[in-house]
Amino acid sequence: MGRDMTEDPFETVVAAHHTEIHRYLVRATSRSGDADDLSQETFVRAYKFYRSLPPDANVRAWLFAIATNLCRNHYRAEGRRRQAMAAAAAGASERGPSWPEGEAIASQASARIDMIVAALPFKQRVAFTLRKVHELDYEAIAASLQCSAESARAHVFQALRKIRRGLDDLDVVHMERQP
Amino acid sequence: MNPENRTCREIEPDLVAVAAGEAGASATRGVERHVGVCRGCRAELARYRVLEGMVADLRRAPMAGADPTLARAELESKLADIRSRLISYGLFPSPLGKILIARSELGVSMVRYIDSERAARSHLARLAGDDAVEDKAAVEATYRELVDYLTARSTRLGWPLDLRWAGSDFQRRVLAATAQLPYGAITSYAGIARRIGEPASVRAVAQALRHNPIPIAIPCHRVIGSSGDLTGYAGSKIGLKEQLLSLEGVPVGLRAHRIERGNMYVRFESETEYCVPTCGSLSKTPLAELTLFGLRGHAEAVGLTPCTACRPDLHPLSA
Repeated sequence: MGRDMTEDPFETVVAAHHTEIHRYLVRATSRSGDADDLSQETFVRAYKFYRSLPPDANVRAWLFAIATNLCRNHYRAEGRRRQAMAAAAAGASERGPSWPEGEAIASQASARIDMIVAALPFKQRVAFTLRKVHELDYEAIAASLQCSAESARAHVFQALRKIRRGLDDLDVVHMERQP
Repeated sequence: MNPENRTCREIEPDLVAVAAGEAGASATRGVERHVGVCRGCRAELARYRVLEGMVADLRRAPMAGADPTLARAELESKLADIRSRLISYGLFPSPLGKILIARSELGVSMVRYIDSERAARSHLARLAGDDAVEDKAAVEATYRELVDYLTARSTRLGWPLDLRWAGSDFQRRVLAATAQLPYGAITSYAGIARRIGEPASVRAVAQALRHNPIPIAIPCHRVIGSSGDLTGYAGSKIGLKEQLLSLEGVPVGLRAHRIERGNMYVRFESETEYCVPTCGSLSKTPLAELTLFGLRGHAEAVGLTPCTACRPDLHPLSA
């Protein structure tokens, strides 16, 4: 029997992954407000190729790869990239006032990390986010970034290193005393 | 951790890997050995461990600017739009030669006899562009129903139709009137023109049917010339028209490309009875006012009863 076109299996894909891909793109685009457009384009593109996807394909990793690709092309226009970086850097420098008084330290640190991440170079930002936030394996990250798994690991390491250094001046980070 | 110290610098990647729980056995041993003697790196490892915990919080923490609701709604409407434009098609063998079947989510949008695959594909590409995707599985069920129909296993194609490629409102009306012609029944181009209330537009009707995007399902083969000539079909495929009509029990072929009106049952206008062709003045009535049936069964299948004057049930036509 032929497939019934009124029952579109792609609806399940959207329902399962849109929220996560969107969240990924918010970080990947340095919060430049492009996540709405890019998440939409990710799924539109995925829809066109979905039918030719092998049945055993890892749909989630495939969606992340499409999103990352779109993101890279989007930032290839150098002007936009610099704009986004500048915006992220500006966000990072005005940290004090933007944090509500008395808020939990953990959430301050989270916000701080997000700002540092936003200012990272594209590959480090993406590799870090895919690994640490979305928990993709290095093979999948390598496929997204079109590099080797080793390079993907190195990008994540560089990102962690910069985040670690970036937290140095937070007086809450007497971390060695914590369990 | 001493940045001047080479070991401290080199061990940092392993330190990070250990904190993340991704280090192999030998790297783990190396880190353990080093932090046993280096207070700075011991503290650094602890920091990376805390950092891993903070990073894990990123997975759960709500994020400003990360509300996907609006984007999702826009995506759904865009996908619905793409989906409605999308055409799936396949090329198949059939008793009438190779055919192309195309459909959308609304229904079957094209049936086309194929001389050249390339020409058929490029015709579809001209109409649908990138929206046409070859996908046999999506039209397989439609194809099976068509084969059943063409091999007389069924007399009905109950397909929903997508008339996106009907060029004008006029053509739609012509196609809709033609679609009303029952299985095994014929009328003339002038007959269709009368039925849509445009009795003078006989040529335009013929033209509209010439560009019928869904032949067989919209049975333009059941529409013939006023004199009984089959006239044309799908360019120069008049043989296919004969085949389709013969399948439906319409007598054709004794004289090439003509139906034998004297061998067909007759319904006048929208009478509820059917007659033999010699009943009253029917034999002199223009074909446009009639519907002809090759077989009584097909007339009765649409609810017509035998005329009480000429009694086609008692005096059937000899086959």
